[in-house]
Amino acid sequence: MVHLIANLLQQALGAVGLSGFAFIINPIVSAVVMFGGISVFVMFLVWMERKVSAHMQSRIGPNRVGVFGLLQTVADALKLTTKEDIKPVHRDKIPYYIAPIIAFVATFAGMIVIPFDKGVSVQNLNIGILYVISITSFTVIAILSAGWSSNNKFALLGGFRSAAQIVSYEVPLVMSLVPVIMTAGTLNLNNVVEYQQKAGYWFVVPQFIAFLIFITSATAEANRAPFDIPEAESELIGGFHTEYSGVKFAMFFLGEYIAIIVSSAVAVTVFLGGWLPLPFLGSLPIPGFAWFVAKLLFVIYLIMAFRWTFPRLRVDQLMDFGWKVLIPISILNILITGFCILFFGKGV
Amino acid sequence: MGSLLSYFKNIIFGFWNLLVGLSVTTKYFLSMKTNTQQYPEEKLPLPVRSRSMIKLIYDGEKDQFNCVACMMCAKACPNSCIKLEGVRGADGKRRVTTFKLDFSTCIFCGYCVEACGFDALTFVAEEYENSVYKRGSLLQDEQAMKWVRPAHLAPKPEEEVKAEAASTAKAGV
Repeated sequence: MVHLIANLLQQALGAVGLSGFAFIINPIVSAVVMFGGISVFVMFLVWMERKVSAHMQSRIGPNRVGVFGLLQTVADALKLTTKEDIKPVHRDKIPYYIAPIIAFVATFAGMIVIPFDKGVSVQNLNIGILYVISITSFTVIAILSAGWSSNNKFALLGGFRSAAQIVSYEVPLVMSLVPVIMTAGTLNLNNVVEYQQKAGYWFVVPQFIAFLIFITSATAEANRAPFDIPEAESELIGGFHTEYSGVKFAMFFLGEYIAIIVSSAVAVTVFLGGWLPLPFLGSLPIPGFAWFVAKLLFVIYLIMAFRWTFPRLRVDQLMDFGWKVLIPISILNILITGFCILFFGKGV
Repeated sequence: MGSLLSYFKNIIFGFWNLLVGLSVTTKYFLSMKTNTQQYPEEKLPLPVRSRSMIKLIYDGEKDQFNCVACMMCAKACPNSCIKLEGVRGADGKRRVTTFKLDFSTCIFCGYCVEACGFDALTFVAEEYENSVYKRGSLLQDEQAMKWVRPAHLAPKPEEEVKAEAASTAKAGV
């Protein structure tokens, strides 16, 4: 579909004698398709989160706008874009404006290496996993600069907490992926899935502990409850985005949900076999993309269930959990996997 | 060695606890049960004496309002939001002709209802959806406030009330 549109546009450019610019068509078409798709998906996720939380609390949730309240997020987005943009007077101007853009772009850029189906990704990078981890950790810059430039003590506290949190949870996040990389012998997300297809099992089976560590640290990376101390409503009002309103707030909000999508997509690709069908259901005529989205929704449901089940951690508990539990266990996991590769020739 | 064991035991125990928590919320999520009242579709019956709306009692049998335009309610009103006029009828009794209550300044204190000596003003429980689209709609006249009291809400005969009061007084002694 994407290639079809891109080809058509390239031919059109050639027809008007601008074939020299044909190389920009593919990235632009991919970017537009990704942006549209992801935005709609984020809107669906916001609706889903509200429905999930509502049913967990014996409520119904949004049911007024559209069928089952599906258009509620559209209404909310319209409201946010038409709101007055209130800016603190003594803000630090440049970081204040740049922060929401970084928060959005850094997470959105992570989407480009995710394989949605066999060979379908915007860029088939051979360092895909490394790229996703490094580009999404740029959000800490956005959050810190948002907190600093708002000139508000709550925002600043939120920014500092976020820096401490993201830096310490980046470590177990990466270390939980290391055993998989060691076993599969590649950093390319497409090849990781192909390895799982060849091996006949998903990495969640031998690396269940790594999967748990990854999900936990991904939740922390996305600043989601129970690790939402950077925005902790009851303590810090809104944390780093206290002083943001209107479209800028929407950018932070969008960035947060895209961060969930990116980390869930990485979890699905690395641990749950990406576009591969469920075992024993491979003969069904379901495209790989549908399998991918189904698994993605499952992982996102898990992350949402965390939010609506677990109480928020205290700052010191958060650091304890990160440094005293997740990191030692992930190191142990790497060691055991290494021994298994050494003695048995392949991962556990 | 013991501390190392308790370290792992703690982690496994904590993980089990988290699983239990998740299972509870997931059970509720899948059951799709709701305990909330779905307001516009479902309405809770309000208690009979709740103060929702002030109404002018209309006597269906005599085909007239109970109000005799004695002006006690207008005098009792702290915001002077009641305006009414009456005329003396053919039978020599005063009857209300126009009755206007401006609900935009009314504070629902109930003084007018208390001041009424002719059982003409009352609070009504069931009409609690009082929002309007225009401010002017809050100024209601006697036709908008007309309310026929259903039989089950009719006041008890005087003898019965007196007997009840006597019995409670006795019980109190």
